Amino acid sequence: MNNYSHFQVKDWLDDPAFQRWVYHGEQDAFWKEFIHDHPGQQANIDQARELLLAVRGELDALPDSEVKLRVNEILNAIPDEKLRALPWWRSNWLKIAAMLLLALGIVTALFKGRENLQGLQTFVAGLNDGDKPGLLEIHNQTNAIQLVNLPDGSSVILKKHARISYPAAFAADRREVTLRGEAFFEVVKNPEQPFFVFAGSMVTKVKGTSFSIKANDDDEDVELVVKTGVVEVSALENEERSQVGAGKKLILKPNELVTFNRKSLNMVTKTVQKPVLLNLPAESQNFEFKRTPLAEVFAELEKTYGIRIQFDARAIAHCTLTAKLGDEPVHEKLDLICAVVNARYETRGSTVTIASEGCE
Amino acid sequence: MKNSERSSETYLITRWQQFCAGDKTAFGELTELNYAALYHYGTRFTPDRDLIKDCLQDLFLEIWEKRETLSYIAAIKPYLFQSLRNNLIRRIRRQSVFSDIRDDDVQDDISPESDWIIQETDQLTSHRLKQAIDALPKRQKEALYLKYYENLSYEEIATVMGLQRQAVANYLQYGIRKLREYWQHATIFLALCSEIAWH
Repeated sequence: MNNYSHFQVKDWLDDPAFQRWVYHGEQDAFWKEFIHDHPGQQANIDQARELLLAVRGELDALPDSEVKLRVNEILNAIPDEKLRALPWWRSNWLKIAAMLLLALGIVTALFKGRENLQGLQTFVAGLNDGDKPGLLEIHNQTNAIQLVNLPDGSSVILKKHARISYPAAFAADRREVTLRGEAFFEVVKNPEQPFFVFAGSMVTKVKGTSFSIKANDDDEDVELVVKTGVVEVSALENEERSQVGAGKKLILKPNELVTFNRKSLNMVTKTVQKPVLLNLPAESQNFEFKRTPLAEVFAELEKTYGIRIQFDARAIAHCTLTAKLGDEPVHEKLDLICAVVNARYETRGSTVTIASEGCE
Repeated sequence: MKNSERSSETYLITRWQQFCAGDKTAFGELTELNYAALYHYGTRFTPDRDLIKDCLQDLFLEIWEKRETLSYIAAIKPYLFQSLRNNLIRRIRRQSVFSDIRDDDVQDDISPESDWIIQETDQLTSHRLKQAIDALPKRQKEALYLKYYENLSYEEIATVMGLQRQAVANYLQYGIRKLREYWQHATIFLALCSEIAWH
């Protein structure tokens, strides 16, 4: 990093960190500051940047939702060979038809739901102004599960007695939350802003995945199991969070379970059949719907996330959904569903209100 | 590009092996991780977006069909790029048999035009650079793209494009030199313009 000040255009072109900034905007703050501090490099950097962009050409990026759609189409086009004990509803033609429907609706409606989340956040923030400035704590004192929407849109399902604290707004380069008790996470993908969970001296780092953590104060062990994606687990050696990353790290993949001892900081992993740790519906739910009446889909979401969904039963009486939703946080699922059925939603507390014009 | 997520190499290889063993979830994940990059690469060859998507679907279905024979592949990304490239070129050639053949680019074996428009087209330098890029032979453009945007090694680019390693090195060297020359002309030209404007 230190010889950047002597870089020539050719060196910039070949520098991977520089490329990542130009192409993906990574470490933007660092680079802006660097340019500011090294005016002599401005011309070289400008040239290298323009060259790299010219080489890339027009960025005709596909939205994530379209990629998902296409992937689903591909998966659905795979013939069910040898009847490998697939459930009856996983045959193809229905899905393909519905995917077309999805494709129609998605583009227009996908971003409509974004603002709703903000409303929920302010609501939550108003309720729980913790002792530290800007730090919120949610403690599930009910007997049911409780959904928490984090400022980045990630979903956390808290079990009874679990509590989570997080800042009202995450730092630019990291998302940090602290958990006590049992919870299931669906983290919004953002590789530039890793997501950290601190739970009883175990630190979990992810970029965008779903997983369960069991960190009860009375238990000697903390446990974690991965549903999708990759999770990195390490020990918090002392209370200073800056120490993270000094010790041993473990990389976990789907269906891998780690048991972490609070005292010895030992970690033991094993592979499990199903990523179920807390017996929550979300852990085993695949969200595959096949011409499912919308009311049933909503019931499923209500059960999974412990939320209430209000809708006009008559308006959506003819709406059905065929889609495979994955480990997206709840608001992304709602975005998708609403896109398909031509509806909008609003969130207030743990109640979601759907306004649909019906599907005839 | 949003899928800049640099999923660790070992993870991808594990998933690839699972896919070869018939794991449909792993297959879906690999498809999702590579789709956008492949699609964008496809836009190098043809402006026909639907054709690219068709080819991608064919490509993934095809590798699913022959998954059992693919477990030897360690370099997943170059393999996928190469397959897409072959499929696309085959399809484009077949199409051009039926439509009017426009052979305005003799040295090239690919499609008549691909649009290289860069982001800030309103800037004069960028505009010049676009012209410079347009003026490069298609294979040079492609090699530059794979090297810088997709970060492939010389060997990997050679595999994808069906070339010798030395040919790739030559393309890249020549391409970058041409672009830089254009840049310098453009800057001088700009400087002159502002001179004239001032006086």
